[in-house]
Amino acid sequence: MDTKTRDELLKLFQSKLNQTMRLYLETCTRCGICTEACHAYASMGQVRYISAYRHEIVRRIYKRYFKGRGKLWPSVGEAKELSETALDELYEAAYSCTGCRRCMMYCPFGIDTQMLMSIAKLLLVGAHAEPEILTMLADTSIEKGKSLDIFKESFLAGIKRLEAEVVKKWRIEAGKKAIPIDVEGADLLYVALAGAHSIIPAAAVFNAAGEKWTLSFFEAVNFGAFVGDPTRTRLILDRIINEAKRLKVKEVCICECGTAFRTMKQMSGKQPFEVSAITEVHARYLRAGRIKVDKSRFKKKPITYHDPCQIARNAGVIDEPRYILRHLTDDFCEMSPDPRYNWCCGGGGGLVALGEDNLDFRMKSARVKVDQVKATGAEILTTACENCHTQLSNLNDHYKMGVDVQFLSSMVADALVQ
Amino acid sequence: MDIVYYIVLVPMVYVACVIFVVGTVVRLVKLFMTPKHSATLQIFPERRPRWLWALGDAFLLPATRRYKPFFWVVLMLFHLAFLLLIVGHIELIAEIKPFQVIPHEVFLGRGFVGLVLALAVLYFLFRRFVSPTKDLSVPEDYYLLILLFLSVLFGSQMDWARRWYGYDSLSAADYREYLSGLLYLRPHVSIDLTASGHSFMLLLHVFFANLFLLFLPFSQLMHSIFSLPMNKLRRG
Ligand code: SF4
Ligand code: SF4
Repeated sequence: MDTKTRDELLKLFQSKLNQTMRLYLETCTRCGICTEACHAYASMGQVRYISAYRHEIVRRIYKRYFKGRGKLWPSVGEAKELSETALDELYEAAYSCTGCRRCMMYCPFGIDTQMLMSIAKLLLVGAHAEPEILTMLADTSIEKGKSLDIFKESFLAGIKRLEAEVVKKWRIEAGKKAIPIDVEGADLLYVALAGAHSIIPAAAVFNAAGEKWTLSFFEAVNFGAFVGDPTRTRLILDRIINEAKRLKVKEVCICECGTAFRTMKQMSGKQPFEVSAITEVHARYLRAGRIKVDKSRFKKKPITYHDPCQIARNAGVIDEPRYILRHLTDDFCEMSPDPRYNWCCGGGGGLVALGEDNLDFRMKSARVKVDQVKATGAEILTTACENCHTQLSNLNDHYKMGVDVQFLSSMVADALVQ
Repeated sequence: MDIVYYIVLVPMVYVACVIFVVGTVVRLVKLFMTPKHSATLQIFPERRPRWLWALGDAFLLPATRRYKPFFWVVLMLFHLAFLLLIVGHIELIAEIKPFQVIPHEVFLGRGFVGLVLALAVLYFLFRRFVSPTKDLSVPEDYYLLILLFLSVLFGSQMDWARRWYGYDSLSAADYREYLSGLLYLRPHVSIDLTASGHSFMLLLHVFFANLFLLFLPFSQLMHSIFSLPMNKLRRG
């Protein structure tokens, strides 16, 4: 690696060094308490998947360039040069970590591996060594924000085609739009994913609840966050924030996408609207009696729920899905006695978006999740995150688990009582 | 030989203490002047009051107790023994009334505190020779534990000699004279301190303790200070 590239990468490293990051980098005692925390290590038993091993790769570079000791006496802390080999190691560490933060629960100091991996990801972006597909998808999202007019017509036509499907699930008054778009003064802006499965059930439930809602032009998923690029993450967020402000909505409701929800909730800063997950909104409707669901719809099928890490452990939506499930079934079985320690499905952090490239790793690294699901004896495995849903479906096929993987929002829509 | 005793017992102690204090303060100031992370790093479900739960996490290590109960016991014993030894050293400088609520002879614990600490450090050290902790460890992890072990071993040996084998040529009063002299900047190394059969133990204890102090502010041992704010971050 030439000096200029290294200097530029070190500048990127420096840009990540806030107080918290320094605490995370300077406190790990390499005690190994976090060893069994990571699903990848628990499933595959390879040392490189221990969370502390992953962040030690970042830490060694930190010591070499940002700590006096690493410059004077590098061998004592095994401080390491930033080189092509180091970039390969960073890639391996960052793109085998889903950022689930389960290891943070084990660590006596609460070191956040996802944060440390964000340094690795940023260095990879700087070196143009990140997974290209993620950057490409992020750039497409940003482009859509910049030139909405080009996309608008085809988007509206696509949505029109879905309206009949929505009405099949919930009849609406004549003259009302099944999927309202661009409604200024609406109470709620719903940000979906690019796919009918994310729009039709949600629309049916909003209409059933009599919500004054409008659909966002943009998809919720934030590929900038997956690829660990703060600038792209912000640009993708800003499209939605600006739309919400323009329409003067009171609430932005994020579809079943863990990263999209957490990014919007925790990184958008103070805004004139509330941010909620669709699961929270559905629980609220049930509590207020705005929708009713038919329990017999899923009768005789034991149901379990997978807590998406970014929605539950990392953003606090834990009671709401259980509240909804109590309305949907009498046969609910918990996966983990404490949701904070629930195993990650192994698909987060952009891993699912990498598709076939890492399918083998995703399957092998999530064996503990499969065991956890099997132990519940459930026939329906529900969740509230697109990534988790894809990964759990892949696991279902690969391990022949024989469960029916469902989105929680779709279950609510399917059980609506007119 | 006297000059070696003097250098280790007086100037080296001062240098170690100054570097320890200045190093710690500089590191803390630099760190806490760096901007904070803007978004929350909280783990849910939330428990309130958050600071109380963070205190519990920092001092009682609930996750370690849950997943590594034996390691947790050793960690607890280690930290408790370490605390008692600090109290013991303070009592060696001057008699402190409140510490004598339970009347005791200096050091607390009849020599067993040092023994527990030495065994705990040995356990920490040996587990670093076994995979997977071995694969995570770097040389400084071993050096620090070895330094600590040597310091504890020679220090405890002096305590054990007085308590267990009745070898009392060096008394608590001798140590107190030496330590209070250091504290009030009137260092005095008496002949009793350097001519006894256990003087060499004292020399080695102080030497390794000095090295440990010199290294401490630049090492991950600062977790003793950082643990609480970091746990607070996790609790939100
Ligand atoms: S538990 Fe925390 S301090 Fe210990 S090795 Fe893991 S990250 Fe480091
Ligand atoms: S954040 Fe999750 S995937 Fe990453 S190291 Fe920790 S436990 Fe493993």
